[in-house]
Amino acid sequence: MDDENSNPFRRMSSRTRKVAPKMAAALASSDNRTQAALARLEALENDNAGIETIEPNDDDEASLDDDDQAYMQKRSKGTKRKTRQAKALENARKAPRTFLELLHEANLESLPAHVPSYLRAAVGPPSSTSRRHFCSVCGFTANYTCVTCGMRFCSGRCQNIHNDTRCMKFVA
Amino acid sequence: MSNVVVLDNGGGLLKAGQGGERNPAVVIPNCLYRPLTSKKFLHPTTTLSSTTEDLTSAAIRRPIDRGYLINPDLQRDIWSHLFTSLLHVTPSSSSLLLTEALFSLPSIQRSTDELVFEDFGFNSLYVADSPSLVHLYEASRRPYGLVSEAQCSLVVDCGFSFTHAAPVFQNFTVNYGVKRIDLGGKALTNYLKELVSYRSVNVMDETFIMDDVKEKLCFVSVDVERDLQVARKRGNDNLFRCTYVLPDGVTHTKGYVKDPEAAQRHRILTDGATPSRAVETKKETDHLEVMEKSEERKRVDLTKNEFDLTNERFLVPEMIFQPADLGMNEAGLAECIVRAVNACHPCLHPVLFQSIILTGGSTLFPRFAERLEKDLRPLVPDDYQVKITTQEDPILGVWRGGSLLASSPEYESMCVTKAEYEELGSARCRRRFFH
Ligand SMILES: [Zn+2]
Ligand SMILES: [Zn+2]
Repeated sequence: MDDENSNPFRRMSSRTRKVAPKMAAALASSDNRTQAALARLEALENDNAGIETIEPNDDDEASLDDDDQAYMQKRSKGTKRKTRQAKALENARKAPRTFLELLHEANLESLPAHVPSYLRAAVGPPSSTSRRHFCSVCGFTANYTCVTCGMRFCSGRCQNIHNDTRCMKFVA
Repeated sequence: MSNVVVLDNGGGLLKAGQGGERNPAVVIPNCLYRPLTSKKFLHPTTTLSSTTEDLTSAAIRRPIDRGYLINPDLQRDIWSHLFTSLLHVTPSSSSLLLTEALFSLPSIQRSTDELVFEDFGFNSLYVADSPSLVHLYEASRRPYGLVSEAQCSLVVDCGFSFTHAAPVFQNFTVNYGVKRIDLGGKALTNYLKELVSYRSVNVMDETFIMDDVKEKLCFVSVDVERDLQVARKRGNDNLFRCTYVLPDGVTHTKGYVKDPEAAQRHRILTDGATPSRAVETKKETDHLEVMEKSEERKRVDLTKNEFDLTNERFLVPEMIFQPADLGMNEAGLAECIVRAVNACHPCLHPVLFQSIILTGGSTLFPRFAERLEKDLRPLVPDDYQVKITTQEDPILGVWRGGSLLASSPEYESMCVTKAEYEELGSARCRRRFFH
């Protein structure tokens, strides 16, 4: 029953957590417009989770350094130490991860093509390539595109507002 | 059979109660929240829209991300409160009927099973998907209807995290036919937040308030071109303009719609009707107005306690019908349904188009079904009928199907027992739920 996810030696500190694929693509892309669009879509799944309060004396709140240290000690001294570090390691292993990280780990791409999966259930792109465009400032039909970030505007006035306040907001 | 706890564990709302009952005893947000006045995260005891508590800028933690349980520790905390303080059940002498999103990952299923058997010690478990439960419920309501006689339906579940079009045949979801759009109520609320924050007042931290705004004021447009024109009009001709007042923390702790009657005026617009053009709008002036509002925004951002909505009211739900317009490279709902149907055997196509069932909280927007039919009709062969049914209660439909299943004679034999789980482990037990 032991598989790779329950392997205590597996390192799961937040430092090594994988960046969500879309964000990784956005970060790797040199194209500002792609970056801005992807970051904006990603933001649609956000919660205002509040700032995590870390209490330094609380063993349950493993800091990153403890975690790294625990990993090193665990390797050198075997499984004897049932200490704070071991507990920290245990907590780090259980630290919540995003769905996209879990999805990445599940490696669904390796399944044969006929097996239904999360990836194959995605509806896919629309068949029509025509798009309606709405002004990002006022919401009405927009005929112009910002050359910097790709968002839409309908008039010179909305363009100015866009440039002043919204352009590249999701990348910065 | 012992007592069965039926738990529709949604990403937005958790619905829980005893199998066999008509309604769940508990409907609460599946989250912990922290109001500004509290240092700790709290358990919701009711739907937050019915509390009088001030939820301004409350922080939220959810165990479910994009429809899947990713934080078992948080879910344990929420379930523990649910079973002990709200439902008053003893897991060790109960069975659990739990809903889970389609295509869950093995690692997520394993941590779910650990929660159910190891942390709570339920004596047995059945894991169900939403579409099959909705189908079961609708088929039982009309034993001589098409859904029941043909034993199939196309369930469109537009919930909090995503939207699925799922063919169901003989009570089982046809996995290879299911299609998903990565959009649900959460993305719509966030989109509305983004629009309002940019256009009038910063509400980026106001999830609960903006959920309320969305539920009270958004609707689906059956004619976007026409409605955009109406939304530009001034004064009384603008049937969509309405005002929402934010809580001020002193005289009122809840936000509210300023003139609820005026806010419903959009309902007089029927399909194809053109509103009177008595006063032709001066477009230039409209722009000036937009401009002024934006200028004003910069000055009074934090003190302003109300905002107007016009085109946002229908451009937000519009995402589900045309995600591509908003930069998502995904087909809209009508096309999603057609793809789900086309993945099934051709002899099922006509009956599936005739048995479309809408479920999930995001189908509650006024005119949802009407618009869907309008989009769908041109994509379906002429000799097939299109018939769309909205569930009586799209939020509770899944739970009611679960309640029905839990009280059926076959339920016990469908479950995995704790002993089987201990002997076989998660992965092998899970195979029993695959069809
Ligand atoms: Zn504009
Ligand atoms: Zn720009």
